[in-house]
Amino acid sequence: MGAPGEFNLAALARYGNDFLAEVEERVEEGEWVKMCMQCGVCAGSCPFGPDWEHSPQKIFMMIRAGKRDEVLASDSMWMCTSCYNCVVRCPRKLPITQIMHGLAAYAHRLGLAPKMQPTRRWSLLFWDNCTKTGRVNELKLTLGLYFMDGIVAGFKQAWTLRNIGLGMLLAKRLNPFELIRGHECKDKAGIHRMLKKAAEIEARKRGFAKP
Amino acid sequence: MADPKYAAYVCKGCGIGERIDADQSAKIAEKEGKIALVRQHEFLCNAEGVALIRSDIEKEGVTHVAIAACSRRAKTEAFEFPGVALARANLREGVIWVRPDTAEARETTQEMADDYVRMACAELKKMKVPAGNPETGRSKRILVVGGGVSGLTAAVEARNTGYEVVLVEKQAQLGGWAAKLWKRIPEREPHAAPVDTGVQALIDAVTQDAGIRVYTNATLAQTSGAPGRFKASIAVESGSTATEEVGAIVQATGFSLYDMNRLPELGAGKSPNVMDQAGLESLARKAAPKGLPIRRPSDGGEVKRVVFVQCAGQRDDTGKHLPYCSGYCCNTSIKQAMYFKDANPAVDTVVIYTDLRVPGNGEDFYRSAQKKGVTFTKGSVTGVEASGDTCRVSFRDLILDEDASIEAADLVVLATGQVANAGVDIDNPQATDANGTKPISILNLDYRQGKDLPKLSHGFADSHFICFPYETRRTGIYAAGPVRRPMDIAQAKEDATGAVLKAIQAAENAELGRAAHPRSGDLSFPIVQLEGCTQCKRCTVECPFGAIDEDEKTYPVFNESRCRRCGTCMGACPVRVISFENYSVDSVGAQIKAVDIPDEFSEKPRILVLACENDAYPALDMAGMQRNHYSAFVRVIPVRCLGSVNTSWIIDALNGGYDGVMMMGCKHGDDYQCHFVKGSELANSRMSKISETLKTMALETERVATYEVAITDIKRLPVLIGDYAKVIEKIGLSPMKGFA
Amino acid sequence: MTHAVATNQTILVVGGGVSGMTAALEAAECGRQVLLVEKTPTLGGRTALLYRYFPKLCHPTCGLEINLRRVKASRNLRVLTQAEVTRITGARGDYSVALKLAPRYVNENCTACGACGAAVEATIDDPYNYNLSKMKAAYLPHAMAFPQRYVLDPSIIGTPDGEKAKAACRYGAIDLGMKVESLEIRVGAVIWATGWRPYDAAKIQPYGYDRYPNVITSLEFERLADPHGPTGGRILRPSDGREAKDIAFIQCAGSRDENHLRHCSRICCMASLKQTQYVREAYGEAGKSTVYYIDIRAIDRFEDFYSKVLADQTVRFVKSKPARIAEDAGTRDPVIHGVDTEGYHRYATRHDLVVLAVGMEPSVNGADVPHEIVADSSGFIESAASGGFFAAGCASNALDVNRSVQSATASALRAIQIVRKADRVEA
Repeated sequence: MGAPGEFNLAALARYGNDFLAEVEERVEEGEWVKMCMQCGVCAGSCPFGPDWEHSPQKIFMMIRAGKRDEVLASDSMWMCTSCYNCVVRCPRKLPITQIMHGLAAYAHRLGLAPKMQPTRRWSLLFWDNCTKTGRVNELKLTLGLYFMDGIVAGFKQAWTLRNIGLGMLLAKRLNPFELIRGHECKDKAGIHRMLKKAAEIEARKRGFAKP
Repeated sequence: MADPKYAAYVCKGCGIGERIDADQSAKIAEKEGKIALVRQHEFLCNAEGVALIRSDIEKEGVTHVAIAACSRRAKTEAFEFPGVALARANLREGVIWVRPDTAEARETTQEMADDYVRMACAELKKMKVPAGNPETGRSKRILVVGGGVSGLTAAVEARNTGYEVVLVEKQAQLGGWAAKLWKRIPEREPHAAPVDTGVQALIDAVTQDAGIRVYTNATLAQTSGAPGRFKASIAVESGSTATEEVGAIVQATGFSLYDMNRLPELGAGKSPNVMDQAGLESLARKAAPKGLPIRRPSDGGEVKRVVFVQCAGQRDDTGKHLPYCSGYCCNTSIKQAMYFKDANPAVDTVVIYTDLRVPGNGEDFYRSAQKKGVTFTKGSVTGVEASGDTCRVSFRDLILDEDASIEAADLVVLATGQVANAGVDIDNPQATDANGTKPISILNLDYRQGKDLPKLSHGFADSHFICFPYETRRTGIYAAGPVRRPMDIAQAKEDATGAVLKAIQAAENAELGRAAHPRSGDLSFPIVQLEGCTQCKRCTVECPFGAIDEDEKTYPVFNESRCRRCGTCMGACPVRVISFENYSVDSVGAQIKAVDIPDEFSEKPRILVLACENDAYPALDMAGMQRNHYSAFVRVIPVRCLGSVNTSWIIDALNGGYDGVMMMGCKHGDDYQCHFVKGSELANSRMSKISETLKTMALETERVATYEVAITDIKRLPVLIGDYAKVIEKIGLSPMKGFA
Repeated sequence: MTHAVATNQTILVVGGGVSGMTAALEAAECGRQVLLVEKTPTLGGRTALLYRYFPKLCHPTCGLEINLRRVKASRNLRVLTQAEVTRITGARGDYSVALKLAPRYVNENCTACGACGAAVEATIDDPYNYNLSKMKAAYLPHAMAFPQRYVLDPSIIGTPDGEKAKAACRYGAIDLGMKVESLEIRVGAVIWATGWRPYDAAKIQPYGYDRYPNVITSLEFERLADPHGPTGGRILRPSDGREAKDIAFIQCAGSRDENHLRHCSRICCMASLKQTQYVREAYGEAGKSTVYYIDIRAIDRFEDFYSKVLADQTVRFVKSKPARIAEDAGTRDPVIHGVDTEGYHRYATRHDLVVLAVGMEPSVNGADVPHEIVADSSGFIESAASGGFFAAGCASNALDVNRSVQSATASALRAIQIVRKADRVEA
């Protein structure tokens, strides 16, 4: 292993500790991955189990086997809905939910996450939406979600849900003027400074290049 | 000893008085049993009833007591009269509780009770109170064979208990395998890191103790004698022989590692970088004390990657290697991986296992290794190929369900198993061990049945019993440590401590002339009338404990303190010259003859049941306790072991007009449950030979039947008895009645 | 009633299961004075409630019979049942022990004739069948009970049932006025053989032991298979009394789990393998067993047994710690959900009955021993600061019977070493 932050990907040996070390350093709660004993209770506990390719326990084994590309390109960790079933049942008390999100974030940072993975796209949408002004703009978020797959799909989706939208409008739960500018938090610049600082801290802690 | 005086007591409690005519039973004891003093009592086991018997013993000089009441298994505390011969007629569990309380059953129930009274009286007449032989024990020193951790522990523990020790070690140095280790697996919390072996402290304790005589570079040239008087001839390096008298022996001869050269497919012999666990310990001992890292043997290169292959040549179902699991190797590989990780976390260590077996707190040790970055992968290794100074380990990853390989492994450690150093296989002295070597004898016993301890399975000198791990088949010789079962240091120390207790017990028992387990405390022993002996050797061959030797004229020589009092010799003897003072061909034969046999027109068959006293008899008792009824035609005699059943009893019974004989013993075969090892098996084979005799007597072969019975057969036994009674009904009553 | 004379040369053994009996007998048969105290009314402990032992499939009561014979024959060993240690003071070689003796309400006149049991009407849960059945409130614990003497449950004292029991006894054996007694004795060494208890399966929430009748523990399953048990040896489902033929065995129910017991309980794999053979014994080829496991720990020659079970076509192995159990509302069949990690196969498998291989925890946690004691963080006893305490069997670790007996034999020797020194000081 070279200097922090410089992983020699070419030398990544199967069942070596290189990728595991990378995960430990760069992924939230990554230091827990080595503690898994492959019992599989997490795999069976996940309500989204039938919908992903690799169970958490298998992801952990893949990490230990040094299968970097397959792990980081997997869509499995994007499927986690933070129900915490796996966490409460894990006999080794691994914070599996956190690790899953950590892996997803890391894969995204490296640009290795599956591009069209819906939760990834939704997460991006949400992040951009709420960090821009410090507030979540629900109308823009909703419309963003509708039109994520293109204009036609967006209109179709809006049409399908038109009654709900109308109802919300009448109940004053939806303000059409939000579309124009929307509300913001008082110190937007402060939020941005805070996020920047957090990113710097994370980069320092995990050995990422400065944001 | 004063003239015997006999007394019989008939209890009327627990419903016996209501269900049977106690007067009649008492009269039978007096008239037929010829008992001078016969009493009846309402409640014999209470303080007053017991006081009555005591007073008869003291004032009337009663030496022999027959009690017709409950089972011999019940009220033992009340009916305990030291120095007095005791026979029990089981009228409660054996009669009234197994019979319906109906008018029509009354007659046969009474007959049953009367017969049991007759039998108890007859038995009593043939009994003597064994005095024990105080001449059998002279020495209480403990001989420890083997100077590894097990042997050293045995020696120290024996000394701590006040016994002198003689220790014989084949090698020049004490310490065995443990002395070759760098560290050992922790025994206590926090189970986090390897710890000091502690073997030097043990060696010091042994060598500095004047009460322990140590012979190194020494082997046993011959071991003769018996508990309390073993004579060990010790061949020492100089070629001379020392002789030591000892009371008991702990055999702690340990193990050899399974020879990794039998595993070329795992790279053994192909590269110096492929080694067994002992090989790695040796590297660690060279490097670690100097604070140096372990280096690659082939070129002294840096070690960056180590692969541990579990179950190398173990748990093998092909028949080529060891079929068993050695139990310690998972923890050992974990420990060895820590050697690397504790020194340099950057070294990759991978343990490839199929089942990780770290029971108990081993789980903490496993966790600790994971925390240190040891990688565990469930897989089965298919090959190790050496190329240059590294190896490639190919395996099936069972979790990822794919073929995988680890390239450029600097070291590959094969977790080979333990092969017991248990000496020669006495059943097959030419056999080689799992390593293909022909073992040499360790104990060199001069016993008729062979030079070493009998082996149980896979070459280990283990006990077959779950409840009694020290139930050795050679009294006074106890195997301890990995010679008995594959085990690690912590277990070996515990095992050696337990074995020492048993050795001490054997020496103490020998001094008192008492039997060892399972008839602990029994003072009786086989007495042989040599003048009648035909030197047929059956007793010397069949004794399950190798207790009987042969003299130069091939007469049997009984070694009392080696004997476990099962009576197999008595059962084997065709000329009936072997007996115990309180259990003999006569004492059982007399009971058989005492039973009143109705004539052949009575439609009352008589079925003799010979029941193992440890399993079948309690099962019959418990059938009674649960009021599971059975036929009134059976007469049950408990026997020490089915192996003690002499064929003459069967012949006498049939000649005397019994209609059938049921023999109830324990399961035999691989999972035998007979606590005298092969008693039930011997009985079975003896009975298979009896059919010829039955033919000459013109009797049906069904008249003798053997059964494998367990103590839990509380419901089954009444059914078996019922079925057998039907068989007898079908073939008809015996034509032999009335001729005796 | 109790004449327990003990001196500092006496060894006190606490617990009358297989370990305690072994420790007591081995010491007594070496000529030492031993006092064996047992909390319940009978010796035998937990193994007396097992149907068969692994790997021989022999019966625990066979060894118990031998040990009871040894107890009956030994002049050096005295037994107190229904006795508990409440306090221990002193140091190695000279301890003072306070014992509390619970009333049995039956004295030594009892002949075990059973008349009181027949007369009494009240029933209580039968702990010797893990409460799967009821028994009379005047009872003999089990057929092998020692002392072979009835017990009156305290709940019927002062009720008409108590009087009925007394009236039925013709031997003056029933003493309704018995009180708790205390006793102070002196001993030289103490062997703690207090054994284990099954981990409370209800705490493993996803397995629904407290919610689903057809999810039972491995100990309860032993009783179902035992001819002495509540079903006479038939494997019947608690929900409907139907024969259970398709049975799941879940390993590590509580063990190897930081939410429950950190340690591996060692015996459960072998116990489940053994129990698959009960299913085979009952149904032959028509039975079906499925073992859900993480690692099968069939150590040393137990591997032979594992190989035998592996070859049994009626037994299937799934490498998986099941995630949860659900129940089919109609049939009350348990359905196990999880993933087979060997290659990743999701399953939802219906069974007739699920048996949880529950873990072992020390039945007396080291911290609760009324003396300064050294125990590990799971409560297993190692020794005492005062140096004259030894643990035997499962009080010391999660052990199988063979290893418990080995441990008990070793602890007997260590105790002898202590009283022997006391012996010499006195002399």
